[in-house]
Amino acid sequence: MRAVTHDERAAAGLLAGLVAVLMAVTAFPILYSLWISLFAVNLRRPNRMPFVGLDNYIAVLSSPAFWGSVGRTALFSALAVAAILVIATLVALLLDQEFPGRRILSACLLIPWAIPSVVNGLMWKWIYDSNYGALNGLLLQLGFIGSATIWLGDSNRTLPLIANAFIWKEVPLAAILLLVTLKSIPADLYGAAAVDGAPAWRRFFAITLPALRPGFLLVTLYEAMMAVRHFDLFFLLTEGGPGGASDVVAWRIYVETFRNLSFGTGAAMSYILAIATLLMSYALIRGMARTL
Amino acid sequence: MRSRPTLCRRAALSAGAAALSLPFVRGARAADPIGYATWSAAVAQVKAHVAGFEKQTGLPVAYSNSPFAQYRETMIAKFTGGAPLDMLWVSDAWLPEFAMAGWLAPIDAYKQLTAYDAVTSDFCVQSTVFEGKQYGLTYYTDYMSFLYNADILAKAGIPAPPATWDEVVSQALTIKSKGLLDYPVVFGMTQESWMIEFISAMVYSTGGRFIDDAGNATMQDPKTGAVAALTWLADAVQTHKVLSPGCVATGELEVLKTASAGRAAFVLLPKYRLKVLNDPAQSQAAGHFKQSLMPAGNRGSHSTVGWMRFFGATPRGLSGGRAEGLVMLMEWFGGKADGEYVFQKTILKDLGLGFGITELYKDPEVRADLGAYGDVDLMARQQALARKKDTISPWFGEWNDAHGTAWQQAIVGKISVEAALRTSAETWTALKKAG
Repeated sequence: MRAVTHDERAAAGLLAGLVAVLMAVTAFPILYSLWISLFAVNLRRPNRMPFVGLDNYIAVLSSPAFWGSVGRTALFSALAVAAILVIATLVALLLDQEFPGRRILSACLLIPWAIPSVVNGLMWKWIYDSNYGALNGLLLQLGFIGSATIWLGDSNRTLPLIANAFIWKEVPLAAILLLVTLKSIPADLYGAAAVDGAPAWRRFFAITLPALRPGFLLVTLYEAMMAVRHFDLFFLLTEGGPGGASDVVAWRIYVETFRNLSFGTGAAMSYILAIATLLMSYALIRGMARTL
Repeated sequence: MRSRPTLCRRAALSAGAAALSLPFVRGARAADPIGYATWSAAVAQVKAHVAGFEKQTGLPVAYSNSPFAQYRETMIAKFTGGAPLDMLWVSDAWLPEFAMAGWLAPIDAYKQLTAYDAVTSDFCVQSTVFEGKQYGLTYYTDYMSFLYNADILAKAGIPAPPATWDEVVSQALTIKSKGLLDYPVVFGMTQESWMIEFISAMVYSTGGRFIDDAGNATMQDPKTGAVAALTWLADAVQTHKVLSPGCVATGELEVLKTASAGRAAFVLLPKYRLKVLNDPAQSQAAGHFKQSLMPAGNRGSHSTVGWMRFFGATPRGLSGGRAEGLVMLMEWFGGKADGEYVFQKTILKDLGLGFGITELYKDPEVRADLGAYGDVDLMARQQALARKKDTISPWFGEWNDAHGTAWQQAIVGKISVEAALRTSAETWTALKKAG
């Protein structure tokens, strides 16, 4: 067996402090939340926290309200990720061209991404307001609508409108990731295709799109994870309403944990969401990796 | 049979907190201040009043505050961690859970404090009582008020504000027919903490209740429950179209902004918002908003809902030699300081916050302050008709979540009024049974 060198011991010693901090702030809370998901922990009853095994998980998985929120989460995520992929691809293709003002446009593109989530949520709340919102003001002035339209208050529109606010914030990052992928495509390929007389659409479908697959994988994976776990906009815009129309899993976890103070059930829901996210990511990586 | 293990989280947290605080224990004991926690409101006023108390009594006070949005959770974490708290601000909605957990101690034994009950609005006193014991003195209070834009009513040729909910509809239809507003009634029915206050005000004014004296759900009862109030809301949106369906995405702040922009004829808002509405610096409709008594339903009165926040004491604060100092501090804030209601008048003057001491409505300074933007006698009359929320219970939060969703669905016509109230009642009964 190889002896541990002095340098290795010194390195281990130097890293030990960092590892200890990471264990304290990351590993311990994760394991502790797993532990409390096995107990009926409700802070309103601090002296009565019996061990319940998997009862919290069973209760969550047999709740129709939870499955309703799963459906809304899936719909929100599908809408958001699909739109982000399409819009970000178009933006990346635009920024890959040489034209005057491209650098300024690239910088402006980052503004939504740089805006803090809470500010983004409050801004969209103002825009969507049916009484004094900017969206109604604009549409009325342009003559597209005759009277103020109900936006977030219409339960059929709530999820798409929240998804729109989410897309607005997420598109810049996705576009940059795709732009980096676009930049890595060798120019020779386009040159050779042009020599062969391939038109632009043919070059796009035969060269650009296949070459973007790694970027698509990365963006789909990242944005799907962000969408599934998204909370801020649901909290700021609708608080799960109207009538439960935006009651997604992340919102349900918040209500259960911090409003109802039922930490046991809340932790169980969080673990179910984490496992679902993990499985979804694994399936995406497996599915899309085959095409790379 | 082996018993299931019980998670000793409190012990673990206490041990952790004790270990972390060991180096400071000696220093802390030397001063031994009264631990006083509030949310981050009226900070300058509280600090100044604490300084006055320390100067007067020589007793040190360790004042701390944290944002209201996380205050409840912060306090619960402090209680379970064994933090040195003696007095704190408490919302009426949290009383059952705080009292049942043993985090608050009753003040009934201290006549110096309970003497103020006689000069305090009844609903304020009742809001500090849980299972027959009183847990504090009023910090501030307010009630849901019915406000109208007199300018819009005048333009519509309406001589007097509505006295009943039927008149609200007829007047709103007149305003609508004259093209003054698409939706003359603006109420906030989004899922936020204000929603239950709006709803409770309407239920009480239509002569309804959510629960009976035994605590059983009566909200679904067509005669004594909340049917009339929810039916009015659903009809206002779906039939008369005087209230926007967007009300289910409208919060209290949006109601205020809409009214300030002159885009509302009738609103339900906390009474203290009248000051903002009639302030030219903050409202385009300044000078036009007036208060009238809450409209009555067919079997109702002009009742409304009142809420309050109070000074609560912890068992630590009322233990042994600490009690005397804490009682003095609680009276200094919740009662008289140097023979005057100093704190109540300060937060009214500086922040517009309401008071529970009814005799203050006769105080010349208070009348001058309130009279600058409203009818003082009417404010007092409406406060006398305010009632505490009857739904405050250990399961209030869970019930309110399900109840709010059901009401929103009924308002926009996704489900019937009866179905919404049945859901509301069944949720209440199940939670009550589970304890």
